[in-house]
Amino acid sequence: MRISLFVTCMNNILYPETGQAVVTVLERLGHEVDYIQSQTCCGQMHLNAGYRTEGLDLARDVMASFERADIIVVPSGSCTSTMRHLWRDVAQDENDDQLVADAAEFAPKVFEFTELLVDVLGVTDVGATFERRVTYHPTCHSLRSLRVGDRPLQLLREVRGIELVELPENDSCCGFGGLFAVKNPDTSAAMGLDKIANVLASGAEVLCASDNSCLTHLAALAKKSGSLVPTLNANATPSNTSFEVKHIAEILASTKNGA
Amino acid sequence: MSRTFAGSPDFPVGAKVSLADPQLRSNLSRATRTIRDKRNLRVSELDTWEELRLAGEAIKREALANLHDLLVTFEKNVTEAGGHVHWAIDAAHAQRIVVELVKATGAQDVVKVKTMTSAEIDLNSALEIEGITAYETDLAELIVQLGDDLPSHIVVPAIHRNRDEVRAIFLEHMSEWGLKAPDDLTNVPSDLAKAARLHLRERFLASRVGVSGANFLVAETGSVAIVESEGNGRMCLTLPQTLISVAGIDKVIPRFEDLDVFFQVLPRSATGERMNPYNSIWTGVTKDDGPQDFHVVLIDNGRSNALSDRVGREALRCIRCAACLNVCPVYERVGGHAYGSVYPGPIGAILTPQLNHVTSDHVAESLPYASTLCGACFDACPVRIDIPKLLVHLRGEVVNAHRSTLPTTQEQVGMRLASWIFGNSSRLRAVASLGAKSKGLLGDRNLALPGWLSGWSRFRGVPVPKSDSFATWWRRERGDDSSSPSSPLHKRSLHRSEHRRSEPHAAGIRAKAPASHVDQVTAREAILSSVRFANRAEATANPVSRSYRRPARAELATPVDLFAERVSDYQATVAFTTNARLPDAINAALVSRGSRSLVFPEGAPRDWLTHFEGTTVIDKGQLELAIINQADAVVTGCTAGIAETGTVVLNSEPDQGRRIITLIPDHHVVIIREDQIVSDVPDVIEHLNPARPQTWISGPSATSDIELSRVEGVHGPRQLDVIIVRG
Repeated sequence: MRISLFVTCMNNILYPETGQAVVTVLERLGHEVDYIQSQTCCGQMHLNAGYRTEGLDLARDVMASFERADIIVVPSGSCTSTMRHLWRDVAQDENDDQLVADAAEFAPKVFEFTELLVDVLGVTDVGATFERRVTYHPTCHSLRSLRVGDRPLQLLREVRGIELVELPENDSCCGFGGLFAVKNPDTSAAMGLDKIANVLASGAEVLCASDNSCLTHLAALAKKSGSLVPTLNANATPSNTSFEVKHIAEILASTKNGA
Repeated sequence: MSRTFAGSPDFPVGAKVSLADPQLRSNLSRATRTIRDKRNLRVSELDTWEELRLAGEAIKREALANLHDLLVTFEKNVTEAGGHVHWAIDAAHAQRIVVELVKATGAQDVVKVKTMTSAEIDLNSALEIEGITAYETDLAELIVQLGDDLPSHIVVPAIHRNRDEVRAIFLEHMSEWGLKAPDDLTNVPSDLAKAARLHLRERFLASRVGVSGANFLVAETGSVAIVESEGNGRMCLTLPQTLISVAGIDKVIPRFEDLDVFFQVLPRSATGERMNPYNSIWTGVTKDDGPQDFHVVLIDNGRSNALSDRVGREALRCIRCAACLNVCPVYERVGGHAYGSVYPGPIGAILTPQLNHVTSDHVAESLPYASTLCGACFDACPVRIDIPKLLVHLRGEVVNAHRSTLPTTQEQVGMRLASWIFGNSSRLRAVASLGAKSKGLLGDRNLALPGWLSGWSRFRGVPVPKSDSFATWWRRERGDDSSSPSSPLHKRSLHRSEHRRSEPHAAGIRAKAPASHVDQVTAREAILSSVRFANRAEATANPVSRSYRRPARAELATPVDLFAERVSDYQATVAFTTNARLPDAINAALVSRGSRSLVFPEGAPRDWLTHFEGTTVIDKGQLELAIINQADAVVTGCTAGIAETGTVVLNSEPDQGRRIITLIPDHHVVIIREDQIVSDVPDVIEHLNPARPQTWISGPSATSDIELSRVEGVHGPRQLDVIIVRG
């Protein structure tokens, strides 16, 4: 199957290894991956912040770039949700009926990475090996917008050598929220610190998720959190002092020989 | 003067203040966890939950789409039943109407049931200016009023206070408002509830004017429904001569039968109970029963304006259950005060900017951004308001309202720069490679970003590219790609919008309407025509699916046992007996609680009391309050019992008497025949007569206003015995 990769702007610049991991997994499964060079950004940040015209311009660019693609894989729950739901909602806000129709037509081509693997390609064992203790944070967009359910866990359970541990209060938001992290920094940090406390309590060495944006927020916060107000999460007793963050694609790409 | 939210800082600043208060954060964290767990438990008991949510959404959609006709029908039915309907364009107008109504009675004070609408219009301040004291009677509102505090939650306004703080407030301030708190008051919630009972008892008995809100206005019958727990609501709705109910025009629902949805979803969503202790439903004025002078004030205050917003109108479906607050990770951390608005939390963030509110534009414009869009609120909402979608919509309105040719704020500059960079893949690659190079210069140091972006770097490291971008890697590894579209696009809509960037929307966050000086006729016509105009393009609503009304379930073929179990769950006692032994059973129930004097409705069978040796006064609709207040107990029949929720329903039938007799005595003995017990809420509707007052009773009076821990026994009867007559 020929699958077009929408790598997302954030992964493109900050986390090329995530895009590379998606390519690795899909090629290992025998599929052809296509990267359309003109792609940039789905417009999520602009659209969620209320900058409708700017965001919809970016949406139009993506739709134009991927006009001929049949199946698009996106290693991000929130970008997938943007492409599947938000484009249409905001086009409606702007009373652009044609764009509403185009977005509706485009949406069924778009799949979040774990959705693509489980639902479209029908695999849960992608031939990965990863010998670490891992916990999974179901990001809000994966959980409540895309409703990916336990698909990521189905994939992780098949990884050889992995020790999966449960993340306490896993369905609560990490506090990133895009521009929320900038506009409401104190609240965002308070939420993030509670999430970090739960990750430490899980005993995991690696925190994985389907969205590098949430992971960036948590990792950057954890790194600088020494001087911050202590978390008030009563349930969490830290049993670990540090952890690493990784996009789920990187775990699924990992093999004994590779990294 | 009562405190209001006027002058509050915007959300980020308010949140920062709250976050720095560890006591507040621990109170909130404990309380929201408790309520979430209770709600989840009670919701999981229903296999019809999602169908109920869909029905709740459909009913409210229909109500909003037909709002003009429903309001007119409601007005007609209230008026025909002896009530009066008033129309208020905005908060100031509503204040004037209520003040005039109270002044006309000559009363110097009013007793109030908890009402959000009254807080929205800041009614207490308006009354105070006229020298009229408003006594809040809901326990949480009392805590807020005594402490000269602000409410922080829609259902539990004192959720930010713990039991020690409540005790301190009672000890210090009760005497300023009436009966002082007992000197030996402890911090045990049941003691605190008892102190509130004592403090307010005389106030209720002496009250001449009651002020309430409304949970639902039933157009078809002209009925008003209020759900509550403590019995303070029943006191205010039953004892005063004059009752004034203030309600937003969004509270109207089409049919009486629609209550079978809301009476299931509201208590479970709000307090995590199968049914709250008391639902009161009344229609106009009932001779000899309750207030003989009844007024409904229908308030627009921005609602018809919100209705004209095709997306924003969804917020008007809200039934004020506050489930969205309890699941919101932002609310849980910062509490209600940070929102600077009577309506806090996710629903407040979409309602406040749409209502004509005391809050400033500055606060209102910060609220749509007070969310991470995590979506927990939408999942919890019993009427399926897509809150994240509305938040994004309102953010767009905020941005559009401030658009100008040249960006002026740092945010506007940043967003424009970002859209320029993201607008072209070569620019994006160039910026990425610049970033990667800067990594070498900057190393791993903690960067401090300037200005607006410092919100990020104050708490977090700044991520910089570690290597080449993915696009560069792909080019190097896989060569240039030929699959990007070289032929012209065939979809016109996919061309960028520079040439047709639209003018900012005129609406934006709604401007405050000036306090209008209009007479009643004009106000009525103004509101109705705004509503009609808002609905001009609205399609007819889809019919409501009643699939949640299951045929009688096999295991509930005899719902009696479940009824007994559920009634007992509320700490009421249940006894089984037969017709022949009923007088014995009644006597036993009375004796076991030490009840020696009795009020008894004239229409109930006298032979029920043949074994009772105490004194009995018969109420023929004439008994003075003072006489009823001397009785230890009341014995009545009922119209129906609901197994699923453990509820007995009184519908003012002859064996039940007036509402007042089942309210004042501290002990209520209810007789129910097996064949009066139905399985579930929908099954009871056909047995009820909306023209007569109804009281749905689920256990003794109770409150969860202190740390969300349920305490039995507040203002309504503290002891409830249910006797089930077999055969």
